[in-house]
Amino acid sequence: MPAVLDELNNEIARTVNEAERALVHIQSGTGFGSGTVVHADGLIVTNAHVIGGGVKKVSLPDGKSVEARVVACDRYYDLAALSASATGLAPIALGDSDQLKSGQFVFAVGNPWGVPGAVTAGVYIGKRRELRRDGGPEREWLAASIHVRPGHSGGPLVDADGRLIGINTMMAGLDVGLAVPVSAVKRFLKEAFGV
Amino acid sequence: MSNILGTLSENLAATVEQAGPSIVRVDARSRLPASGVVWSADGIIVTASHVVERDESITIGLPNGESAPASLAGRDPTTDIAVLRAQASGLAKGTWGEHTTLRVGHIVLALGRPGRTVQATIGVVSALSDAWRTAAGGRIDRYIQTDVTMYPGFSGGPLVNGAGQFAGLNSTALARGAPVAIPHATISRVVEAILTHGRVKRGYLGVGTYPVRLQGALAQQVKQETGLLINSVEPGSPADNGGVLLGDIIVALDKQPVRFPNELLASLGGERVGKASQITVVRGGQVRELSVVVGERT
Repeated sequence: MPAVLDELNNEIARTVNEAERALVHIQSGTGFGSGTVVHADGLIVTNAHVIGGGVKKVSLPDGKSVEARVVACDRYYDLAALSASATGLAPIALGDSDQLKSGQFVFAVGNPWGVPGAVTAGVYIGKRRELRRDGGPEREWLAASIHVRPGHSGGPLVDADGRLIGINTMMAGLDVGLAVPVSAVKRFLKEAFGV
Repeated sequence: MSNILGTLSENLAATVEQAGPSIVRVDARSRLPASGVVWSADGIIVTASHVVERDESITIGLPNGESAPASLAGRDPTTDIAVLRAQASGLAKGTWGEHTTLRVGHIVLALGRPGRTVQATIGVVSALSDAWRTAAGGRIDRYIQTDVTMYPGFSGGPLVNGAGQFAGLNSTALARGAPVAIPHATISRVVEAILTHGRVKRGYLGVGTYPVRLQGALAQQVKQETGLLINSVEPGSPADNGGVLLGDIIVALDKQPVRFPNELLASLGGERVGKASQITVVRGGQVRELSVVVGERT
C-alpha cells in the first residue's frame, strides 16, 4: 500500500480511537443509543430522544456499567445531559461548528444497531436550517455524508482533529446523517449549568 | 494531531471554496432546486436536463447570494444536458480538467448548490470506460461512474478532481440512479450545438424495429447474426419515402452493421440529417439497398 494512504489510514484510526474514548452506550427504557463524555467527572451529552423511557444504565468505554441520572433535557433541540457515577473519564475536546467548511472530513462513532464503537466516515456537506414561519427559534443541523443508523444517536461527530463538532441525531436518507451542532450543545450546557 | 488527514481535510475544504464561485443554484422545478455550473462569464449556465422541468420562470441562484432570471437556451435529453442563459455577467467560469487524467480509485468531490451555500460530498471514481451511448441514444465521450453521494439537488453540479478542476457534470438520470459524470468534451459539443442551432440535431427515419435472428445462409451472406425487423413505418416519414417496407430487416446503414436498436440509434447522428443514406435491408430473403434521406427528429 502506498505510504501516504497507509499513514492516512493510521491517522484516521487514531482520530477515531480518540473519539471512542469519549463514547458511551446508553440503555434506556425504550431502547439504546450513544452518549458523548464532555467532562471527566461523568457529564455525558446525548439526544433527548435517546432517554425517552428514562436511563437504565450507561456502559463506559472500559466496559463498566454505571448508574446515571438525567440532569438537563431540552426536547426542542433534542439534547440531554446525564450525570454518571464515574470519575476520570476522557472527555471529548470541543470544536467549533461555525468554522466548518463543506468538504472537510468528519467521523461519527456510535453504537448503531447496538454494535459498540462503530465508525462511519464522510465529509461535511453543509448546514441544514429549519424553516419556521411562526418566528420561533430556528434549529440547525449539520449534514454529513455518513451512514447514521439507529443507535448512533447521541454519539460524537468529530472533525479530522478529533474535536467534537456535533451530536449525531438522525438520518436523512441512507447516505446522509444530521447532527446537532456543537454550538447548540455549548449553549445547552451553559444554560443548564452556567459553565 | 493528525498530519496527512488534517492537511487533506483542509485541502478538500479549500477545493470546495475555490470551486464554489462557479457553481449556481438552478430553480426550474417545483420540488427542491438543483445545481448548475457557470460555462461562461456572461451568463451561460450548464445543468442537467432532467432538473429543468419548466421552460419559463427559471431562476439562477448566484454564488454572491443574488438571484437572476434565466431563459432556457436549449436542452438535449439524450445526454441530460440543458443550457440556460442567465441575466448576469462577470461570473466565474469553471476550470475544467481533462477527463483522461481520471483513474479508478481517485478521490473526487461532488459539489452542488441546492440552497444558498455550496455543499459537498466525497467519493472515489468507481469505473471508467470508453465513449458510451445513453438509453435515449445520446453519445457521451467517456463513461465516468463514481460512488459520491448525490444529495438531493446535486444533479447538474460538478464532479471535482484532486486538482480542483471540474471533471464532469454529475447526473443521476443516465445510469439507473448511479452517479455518472458527463465529461467536458460532451458538454462542449452539446453547448455549441444548442447555442448555434438552439438544439442538438438527431436523425430520424420513422420506423419501429425489433431485433431478430438471421437464418444460417443469410447470416453468412451479411456476416452478422441479427438484424432489425421493421414492425412499423410512419406514413410520409423518410423511411416511407425511401421505400422501406413493413417486414424488411435492416442489417446496415451506410455499410455500418446494424444488429441492435441501439446501433441504429447510434448511427442516426445530427450530421446525417438531410443527407441520403444507404440502408441495407433483407426483403424476401434477398439483400437490397435502399436510399433514404434522413430527416430530423423533432
